[in-house]
This record gives sequence, C-alpha cells and structure tokens, in this order.
Amino acid sequence: MSTPPAERATVSERLQSAGSLRDLLGMPSGVKLQEFALVGVVLVLILVGAVLEPDSFPTTDNFRAILTQASVVGVIAIGMTFVIATAGIDLSVGSVLAASGIAGGLVVDEGTAAFVLAAMGFGLLLGMVNAGAIAYGRVVPFIATLAMFAIARGLALLMSDKEPISLLTADGVRWFGTGEIATIPVSVVIFLAVAIGGWVLLNRTRYGRYVVAVGGNREAARIAGVPVRRIILSVYCLTGLLAGLAAVLLSARLASASPVSGNLLELDAIGAVVIGGTSLAGGRATIFGTFLGVLVFAIIFNLLTQLNLATEWQQIVKGVIILGAVLIQRPERI
Amino acid sequence: MTSIRTLALLVCAAVLALGVAACGDDDDDGGGTETTTAGTPAQGGEAGGTVSIAASVPPTDHGWLGQVAVKAREAAEQFDDVDFELVEAPDADGQAQQIETLINEEPDVLVVLPYDGEQLTPVAEKAMEAGIPVVNVDRLFSTPEAARATILGDNYGIGVQAGEFLAEQLDCQGNVVEIQGIAGISVTEDRTKGFADTIKELCGDGLRIIAQQPGDFNPDTGLEVMEAILQAEDEIDAVYTHDDDMAEGVVAAIQNANREDEMILTGAGGSCNAFDLIEEGGLYAATYLYSPTMAGSAVNMARLIGLGEGFSDLLEPEVPSEVVVPPTQVTQDNVEDLRDLCFTGAGG
Repeated sequence: MSTPPAERATVSERLQSAGSLRDLLGMPSGVKLQEFALVGVVLVLILVGAVLEPDSFPTTDNFRAILTQASVVGVIAIGMTFVIATAGIDLSVGSVLAASGIAGGLVVDEGTAAFVLAAMGFGLLLGMVNAGAIAYGRVVPFIATLAMFAIARGLALLMSDKEPISLLTADGVRWFGTGEIATIPVSVVIFLAVAIGGWVLLNRTRYGRYVVAVGGNREAARIAGVPVRRIILSVYCLTGLLAGLAAVLLSARLASASPVSGNLLELDAIGAVVIGGTSLAGGRATIFGTFLGVLVFAIIFNLLTQLNLATEWQQIVKGVIILGAVLIQRPERI
Repeated sequence: MTSIRTLALLVCAAVLALGVAACGDDDDDGGGTETTTAGTPAQGGEAGGTVSIAASVPPTDHGWLGQVAVKAREAAEQFDDVDFELVEAPDADGQAQQIETLINEEPDVLVVLPYDGEQLTPVAEKAMEAGIPVVNVDRLFSTPEAARATILGDNYGIGVQAGEFLAEQLDCQGNVVEIQGIAGISVTEDRTKGFADTIKELCGDGLRIIAQQPGDFNPDTGLEVMEAILQAEDEIDAVYTHDDDMAEGVVAAIQNANREDEMILTGAGGSCNAFDLIEEGGLYAATYLYSPTMAGSAVNMARLIGLGEGFSDLLEPEVPSEVVVPPTQVTQDNVEDLRDLCFTGAGG
C-alpha cells in the first residue's frame, strides 16, 4: 500500500513514539506482559490464601506440598508448551502416563532404574507413534492424539489386567515421591530441572527458534530451511517422554502404578500452558508462563480443598479464576 | 439426467419398502412381556436351551468397575448353557446408545450396571417393553418398570456401619475427614447420608466431619485431596472413605506425611489390598464388603430368569425382584475368615 510521503512520516512518527512510550514505561510487549500479569494472579491467590487460612496455607510445608502436586502436571505441561508452540496439541498425555506407569510397574522387581527406564521408554515409544502419525501420516494432531488417548488407556488396562501394581516395597521408586535433595522434595527438583531445561531449550537454542517458527508460519519456516517434519516429530516424542517421567513421579507418591491414573490430566496441562500465555495457534510460547499456569492451578486446588469448599462450588470458582487470569492478560494480538 | 434421477428414486423407494417390511416383521415376533410383575416368566429361553445374556457396564475408570467385568465373565463361563456378551460403555452418555444396540440384538436377558441409574432408566424401560427382562446391578434405576430384578449392595448401610464403628472407636469424640466417591451419584450420596445420620444419632455433635471432599473412587484424586486436607487440618482422628481402591491413595498421602499414628481409616468394597492392610493393623481399621461379585451374581440371576427358574434354595419358583447384599464389616478380628471374599483390585 502506498501512502503519500507526508502521511507516511506521520505514521512512522506515531509508531516510533508509541515504541518509545512502551520503552519509557519499561513495559514489554505481548507475551512478557501476560507473564507479569500471571505473577500478579499468583501473588493475589497466595494473599487470599494467607488471609483465609493463616495457619495452614502460607507455611513452608504447604508450599512444598503445592509444588510437589504441581510437579506431575508441570513436567507434562513443559512438554505440552513445545507441542502447542508448533500449533499442535497432545490429548493423550494422561493415558500415556497411566500406560507408562504400568510399563514401569511390570519390571519394578528388576530395580528402580528398570522402573524409571521402562516408564520413560514406554512413554517415549507412545510419543513416537503419535509423532509418526502426525509428521508422516499427516494425521491432524487433535485426531492422532485423541486416538492415542484411547489406545494408551486400553493398553494400560490390558497390560495391568485392570489391577494397580503395588509399589509399597519399592523404596527406590518411592524416593521420587517422598525423598528430598537438599531439603527440597525430589519431585520438585525434577520439575524445576525440566522447567529450566525447557526454558533454555526454547529460548537459547536454535531448536527452540525452529519450534516457534514452525508454529508461527509453517510454509515460511520450510522455505527458510527449517527441518519442519523433524521438529514436529520431536515435540511429540518429548511429551511422550515427559509423560513417562510424570508417571514415575505420580506412582512414587501413590506407592502404586494405577491403570486409571491421569484421568483428564491433559486438560490441566493444556489449560496451564494456555493461561500461561502460549498461543494455541502456535508461534508464541513461554515456559515461564506455563510454570506460572501450573502453579495457579495447584494453588487453586490446594486453597479450595483447604477451605473445604463443596465440590460444586470448587468447579465454579476454579472456572472463574481461570477466566479472570486470561482476561487480565489481554494480549495485544490474538 | 432425468432417467438417472428416476432410477435413483425407484431404488430409494424399493429400499424404503424393504425396510418397512423388515421392521414390520420384527414387531410381530416381539411377544408379550411388558410389565415387571413377578408372574410373567421370560420369553426366549426355553428350559434346556441356551440363554443369551448381554451385559452393559460403565467405562472402567476405577478398580472396582474393572473387577465387575471380570466377575461377570467368570460367572458366565461356569455355565454351558449361557451365551454371554459384555460391552463396556465408552462413557456415561454412550451407554444408552450401546444398550439400544444390544436391544436390537434381542438377547434373552439384559444385565445393566448403569453409570447413572436415572439417566438410563428410559432405555431400560424400553428393553423391558421389548420383552427383554433387565437385571439391574448396583446403581438403581429410578422406576420399578425398568428392571425385572435388582441386585445391589447397601450403600446407606455402609455409612451406618462405618458410623457405628468409628463412633465406638473414637468414643463419640473427634474430628473425622470424609473422602467421598464420585459426586452426584446415588452410591456416593447414600454412603454419605448413612454415615452422617448415624453419627448424629449416636454422638450428637461429638464426632465432627471437618472435611468432606470427593475422591472420585480414584487413587490419584484420593492422594491429592488428602494431601491438601492434611495441610489444612492438624488434628484428624479418623478418615471415612467410600472405596478401598481410592483409599490406597489416601493411605499413601497419610504415610508420606508420617501421620499414620494420628488416625484410623475405613474403606468400602473389600479389596484384597485392604484386607492385607487391615491384617497389618494400625491405620486401616475396617472395610465393608461391597463386592464386584454382585455382577457375577447378576449373571446367575439372569440365567435363571432366562430359564424360567428361581433360586434353588428358596421355595418360590421365580427369581426375587430385589436382592440386597449386606455390607459385612471386615476388621482385624474377622479378616482371615473372610479372605476368600476379597477381590483383587490391587496388589497385582
């Protein structure tokens, strides 16, 4: 489009001044703004909790409990961030978690390492099936992972004969759920490690830039030389692997590998990623946002349960808080 | 174009006519039984012939339901004269559609454990009207016309017994946490009500329910909910749970927090894992039998209805319309005697 020189100058002047106004106020744009808003939501929730339950909410013990609970969804949500960044989705993570846990449970007698490797390996395997279907089979991610959602659940029930596998005596495995590293629960350490690793991968490596590029504009990325198919393959393998890791964390705490675990976990993971600021349309992602999103859900659950709110009210309150968290963020571009 | 159209129209008309004719024939074969009065014996299964039984159960989203399917199949395998088919519903809504499909297959008897009794009452009535007797398991339909016979446990009774047990153990003084089943279904509501009514009656306000949250009959949810409640409450004397499988998660939470000595816990169902824990003593104090074997018994009842027979130990010639299985209390005193009755929903 062509604008006469005089107007062009005015437009660019305006843009420039707007740019400098943002800089002046130190206000970042787009995703960063959302992250700050979400930090605000977390702080408000903590404040509300401290006021309503002063004896039991704002305690170190409780924060450890909240983070420990958050670690299962959290680990999965980090992986989900990468998937959603490519404009994909993975609906199978909850079922894959259950199947991975059972896979680990079947070999737990061979030792803790066997359990962990089997669980993560099986999760990776199922993730690879998803990846293959989506990247090579050209199946839409929603459908491919929906199919795996059902298949993995069926596998979990089949492999376990519909019975949970007890891990009561598997002390090595239970360490993942109840042990500590420098007074921090192991689950939390693992969650933080995955989150930091995910952040570095997304923001400081070429791989991370490729992932976002594939989501932002697949054709442009392809033309620019990004190995699109391999990128797409990799993100679904990642969620599978992390679902296996989450299975280890959950089974350890539960002292049992259960075939009915992880029910609807994918919704929590996806919800956390989206309220964190990552766009479902792809091209924009934030690990820190996902971390905050996971935290928001965990805090809400903890607080509402501590308040002993009747379940029907819990559902409503949770939905309202989520809506509020998203509305506060008000992204510049959809 | 016109000739192709005419041809198409003729084909459609022919198909339609055939369809109407076929449906018309079905109606004639349907036969008489509509009402549930005990007097009318079932059609279809002639004494000495094979009884075809179709069973519909909800999706296995927790251990107890998984065992239901197992027990039903085991029961059917005991007999040579039973042709058995079991379908698991994909979800709560899908079950109605599945039952419609089963009705079209015209089994002799239908066994149904509905995800929700009220929601599936219309389709059950439809089966009854089509001449297929229905055996209702566990979750009650809302009208008597919906089933020929019902077998269920006594959910209210579980609450009553647990209430009596805890009232006695705690001397009518203390803080109780209740971890419920799936919110909104009759099983859960009855277990809650039985407990609440009983402790009110026996202890007045002495036993206080300080937290009440649904665990969805799921160990994951039981774990997470109990973890949060343990943070909120410093002094818990007892935990009343609605389900043994779910209680495993609750127990794990208590153990992880090192607070097993602080409280005692009751479950429901009768899983072998619960039996083991009860035998050990300590935290897990009691459970109440509510066995998935009732699904197997339902198959047995269905077979008898199909054959036009009654229970051999009873004098009456027909299967009773309601069988209520009492919730036998299992504690350390009698756990070994009742070992055979536990179901493996746990322990592998």
